[in-house]
Formats: sequence, C-alpha cells, structure tokens
Amino acid sequence: MSLVSTLIRVASEGGESAAQLPEYAPLLLILPLAGFLFTAAIGRRLGKLAHLVPLGAIVATWGIAMSLAIPALLGDLGEHGASSELFTWIASGSLTFNMGIHVDALTGALLLVVTTVGALVHLYSVGYMSHDPGYWRFFAYLNLFMFSMLLLVLANNLLVVFAAWELVGLSSYLLIGFWYTKREPGLAAKKAFITNRVGDVGFALGLMGLVAVFGTLDISTILAGVEAGQLAGPAATVIALLIFCGAVGKSAQFPLHVWLPDAMEGPTPVSALIHAATMVNAGVYLVARMSPLFAASHEAMLVVAAIGIFTAIFAASIAFTQTDIKRVLAFSTLSQLGYMFAALGVGAWVPAIFHLITHGFFKGLLFLGSGSVIHAVEGEQEMPKMGGLAKKIPITYATMLIGTVAIAGLPPLAGFWSKDEILGEAFKFGYAWVWLVGMVVAGATAFYMFRLMGLTFWGKSRVSESVHVHESPWTMTLPLILLAIPSIGIGALLGFPFADGILVHGLEPIFHPANVLLEHEHEAWTLFGIDGLLMLASVTVASIGTVIGVRLFRSDHGDRIRAITARLQPLYVGSKNRWFFDDLNDLIFVRLGTRLANAAWWFDRRVVDGAVNGVGALTSTGGRGLRQIQTGRVQNYAFGIALGLAAMAVAYLVLGS
Amino acid sequence: MSQIAGHLEPYLVLAGILFSIGAFGFLARRNAISMLMSIELMLNAVNLSAVALGAFIPALVGQGIAFALLIIAVAAAEATVGLAIVIAIYRNRKTPLVDEYDTMRQ
Repeated sequence: MSLVSTLIRVASEGGESAAQLPEYAPLLLILPLAGFLFTAAIGRRLGKLAHLVPLGAIVATWGIAMSLAIPALLGDLGEHGASSELFTWIASGSLTFNMGIHVDALTGALLLVVTTVGALVHLYSVGYMSHDPGYWRFFAYLNLFMFSMLLLVLANNLLVVFAAWELVGLSSYLLIGFWYTKREPGLAAKKAFITNRVGDVGFALGLMGLVAVFGTLDISTILAGVEAGQLAGPAATVIALLIFCGAVGKSAQFPLHVWLPDAMEGPTPVSALIHAATMVNAGVYLVARMSPLFAASHEAMLVVAAIGIFTAIFAASIAFTQTDIKRVLAFSTLSQLGYMFAALGVGAWVPAIFHLITHGFFKGLLFLGSGSVIHAVEGEQEMPKMGGLAKKIPITYATMLIGTVAIAGLPPLAGFWSKDEILGEAFKFGYAWVWLVGMVVAGATAFYMFRLMGLTFWGKSRVSESVHVHESPWTMTLPLILLAIPSIGIGALLGFPFADGILVHGLEPIFHPANVLLEHEHEAWTLFGIDGLLMLASVTVASIGTVIGVRLFRSDHGDRIRAITARLQPLYVGSKNRWFFDDLNDLIFVRLGTRLANAAWWFDRRVVDGAVNGVGALTSTGGRGLRQIQTGRVQNYAFGIALGLAAMAVAYLVLGS
Repeated sequence: MSQIAGHLEPYLVLAGILFSIGAFGFLARRNAISMLMSIELMLNAVNLSAVALGAFIPALVGQGIAFALLIIAVAAAEATVGLAIVIAIYRNRKTPLVDEYDTMRQ
C-alpha cells in the first residue's frame, strides 16, 4: 500500500498535471486477456485443471486492482485520479483516438466490485461447473469477460469504452448461450444480444454527436468542454439521451429490460457476475462518468429519473409472483438498477454509485446462493418444489439470509446505507414522486425477498423424494461466506458517518462539476432533523415489507396466499405474465417485423433484383440480336462501308453548302 | 490537248464510271484476287480525277499530280500486303473465295 502511494507520488512529481499510474497498471488488462488466450488455446487439453490459469490471473488482477482502488477511494491518487497513456489506437486525419487507462474514485468503486465478485465467482465456478464438459470453455469466456469489463471501466476514451461495451456484450452472449445444445439458452443469448444492439445504436449515434461537437472522444476533454458550456440546450439533451439509450440497453431498463430475465438461462455464476454485479452496472457507470453531460440538460435528467424509478416499481411488481428462484432475483436486479438510475436522474450521484457497490456484493451473494440451492436440489429452479431447505444446507441458508436482509434495506447491513441515501437525496432535491415510488419499491423489495426465502428455506419440504439434498463443496460455500462479509459491512465502512463517509469524500470531486451545473447544494446531515425522519421512514417501510413477507411465508400458509391472489386475480395474472411485455414485443417486433421483412424481401426480390436482372437480360438479348449482323464475311462489311459512304454523300448534298 | 483542256467533265465522268465498276466488283466478286483488282480500279479512278482536277483548275496545278503519285505509292504498298494476305489465307483454306472466309464469326 505505502509502496504504491510512494510510486504514484514519485510518478506524479515527474508528470505535468494529472498523476501517473504505476507502470504495472496495464497488467489489470493484460492478465485476464492472457488468461483468456491461454485457456482458449490449450485449455481443452488441461481437462479438470483448466481453471488454474484463469483463476490465478483473476486473483492477481484482484490484488493489483485493490492496490489501485483503495488509494483511489481514499483520495491518495489526487482529486481527479491518475492515468497513463498506452498508445494511439486510431489516427485518421484530424481525429485521434488514444488508448489509455484512468483510475479515479469512480473507477476504484467499480474495480472494487468487479474484481472482488469476479475472483469469487471464478472460485465458485470451480465447484459449480466441475461436471460440465465445457469446463475450460467456461473459464476462457469468464476471463474474456473480466478483460472486457476492466477495459470498460479503465478506458479514458469513449471509443475504447464503446469497444469494451460491445466486448462485454459478446462475452455475455457467449455465456448466456453456454449450454448451446439446448434451445432456450440459445434463444436467450440471441435475445440479449439483439436487445442490446437497439440501445447501442443510440450510444453510437451519441458518440458521433460528441465527435461532431468536440472533435474527440477523450473523456476528460469532453467533460471539460461541457463544464465550459460548449454543449448546452437541445444538443446536450439529444446527445445525453442517445448515450442513455446505450445505458438502458446494457443495464436492462424499461423498455429494453426483456433480455435480463431470459439471460438467467446461463449458468448461475454468470448470472451472479455479469447479470447482477458487474456488466449490468455498466450503464450506471457510463451515466455517472458522463455526469456533467447529463447535468447540462434538465430534460435528460428527468428522463433518466423517470425511466429508473418506473423500472424499479415495474420490475418489483413482477418479482412478486415469479416462481423461478433465479427470475425473482433477475427482476430484483432490474428493480435495483432502476433505483440507481433514479438516483442518477435526481442528481444523487454518490448514492447511486454507493448502491452500485453494495448491490454488486449482496446481489452477487444472492445469485451464488441460489446457485448453491439449485445445486443442492439437483437442478430444480422452481421454488414451489423446494421448501424447508434451511436445516439441510445451513451455510447457504445463513449467507442468503444475510443477502436478503441486506437488500431489504434493514440496518445495519449494506443495502440500508445506500438505499437510504438515495431516498433521502431524492426527497431533499425536491423529487417527491421519486421518493414516494422509491419508498413503495423499498417495501416491495423486502416483501418479495422474504417470499423467496420462505418458499425456498422455510416451511415443509416439497422436494421430490428421489433428490438427495446436500450442501455444496467448499469452493462454492467459501465465496458465499466471503461475499457475506461485505454484504454486512461495506455499507457502514463506506457510508459512515452519514453524508461524510469515505465514498462521499472520494467521489465528491468527480461529481463536483455536475453538481455545479445542477446548482445542488449539500446541506449538513442532521440526525434530529429531516434526514433522521427520512431514514426512519425508509426503515419503517422496509420493516413493514419484511414483516408481511415473513408472516405470510414463514410456514405453509398456502390457503391464505391463494385467497389473497384470488382476490387480486387481474393483478396476479398481469404480474405473473410480466405485464405481457414479452407478448407485446412478440406482437409488434416479431410478428409485424416478420411481415415487414417479408414485404421488404418481396420488394427486394421483385423490384430491386428485377431492375438489376432486367438490365442484364436486356443487354444479353440485345447482344444476341445484334450478333446476327456480324456475318464475318468481308463483303458484308464492305457493303456496310459503301452504304455509309453513300449516306454521307447524300447528306452532304442535301444539307451541305 | 487544248480541245480537251476546255472540258473537265468527261474525265470526271470516266473516273466515276471506273470507280463504280471497281466498287461493284469489290462488293460482287467472290474471288479475293478480283477484289484486289477492283480496289486498284477504284484507286486509279481517284488518281484520274485528281490529275484531271490538277490540270484544269489553276489553283490546284501541281497538287493533283503530287496527290496522284502519293496514291500510287500507297496503292503499291496496299497491293503487296493484300496479295500477301490472300496467299496466306489461300494456303490455309485452299480457296480464293472470300465468302468461305468466315473464321471471324466464330
């Protein structure tokens, strides 16, 4: 640690303005990439040892990442972080795109989540995937994902970010469709990839807009330009919203949320790593990284907040009735990501990143726990066929209970700190509607999570007789225990004292320009004032949700639950069917799209191809006809010449003189 | 000479007749040698008209003769090349008849 700070200080004295990163920083990218290439090349021959190199690479990456992330969060890298230019990627005319890495507190926050959860998921996969014939392939893909995700958060140029954005999309596609011989994973992988394309079109257009305005995609240059007022008004709104399109796709916000629940077809470690803790946060990271751009447009901020809070309540309402344990968690992830976007939209930047960190840990924990449950009941994912597992798999039960209490927002676990800050700032910045919906979602979250716990672990066992329930091996339970620790403590560690914690100190300078544009003033935090009241309100709501959830699902209350659902039949059916959004998409985009495509195909075949082929046919027919006059006989040609001469003579006589 | 000198037309008429015979022969005869001879006929018709025009029109004195000499030289060269081609084809196809030379068609 001290060695690192010394190195950084020495380097920064030599540099001009921004501090330099230590020379080993690029290893963060090189190690996972090397692990991927190595495993992709010869992993198949290593058999059951294929995990050694990728796991080693990620553990080493974790060490390096911590040595940079901790100083970055503590402010030891300077207010604006440190960077190092690696090489020029593209130089074309007046446009130059450089490849460089930048670490500041925001990057540090993401490094903390990405590498920690990443390393633990690698370890977990050693147990979870041990019987899979594609063992080596799985680890190769995981390392490719880690490389892409680290590139995404480290790059200091938006074009590199965009490339990494696509790379994480590719790794996500490969891992969702990991069991490609089955039909559903293949379809889910395609769905994820195509839905993301929709958002990425917007992102790409936004980047073109930025190039048009600033002539560069260097992040610090763009942000400095926005601060100086070079981009404002409708142009800022349009560009910000286009970039937000990309974030909506990657972070699965309404209306592009449909891919994430289906992505649960992938192996559970993938769901934990990519579709809960890291990749889906990329959208939040992007908006936070470009915070001054969004702050420059009131309308864009409003859209971000509205989409975020709507997704939060929309997804929570679906999570109520799902019976697949992983899908409940998937909708919960959507809902929590919506929370983060709502926070970004109201200008609560630090709480949004805070929630990203805490959510990354406890949702990663919950997903790995669900994987351990599925492992225990030999592949069953339907909660109605579980029940009463608490005593049989105690470690999984205990750690998942910690994750559930954390996400429910009960103090003093991690979720309470970040969720409370989001709600508090939303209220104080005057977004009462965001606060109100957020409170409802907080209660709902507690309810559906305890429903999940109840159906899975409490009451009587509904597991089939033939299944031998067993606790998972240590490679799977150790990551659960290690993730339970931050799920308990990271909130208090980063967020205490209120509004004055480590994270606030680290991130405040980064979001200062955006706050200046928004004219947000941070008042002192008061326990016996508005802040204390708001905190009490959010804890109360979470407790109410918890109590209802626990009372209903503590033991078998099947009759009462059936009575309640019968009374709310229309709502139940709607929620169960995800408010028919997939069917709507199927109707609009698949059916109508097929018709449109068929019409276009017909037009292409008949009109476009017809015109092209017509030209060809005309030429060859004409040629065939004209060939008849080419007899090859000298005298016919001579006759032609004579006729021509005669015609010229006649023309001269008639028209000449 | 002096009587004729007053009348350019008979020369041009004769030249026209000769040229027509040559043109007809070139288009109508199938024998390559005859066609070459027809070409000579046409060239000489042109020579005759050139010399006549040079003799009767004061502005063209001397030029007609020079032109005719040039044509004779070109005609000699052309006849040489033409005959050489005809002989080459004849050796190849064993016939002097041009309507059987239809290789270009294929």
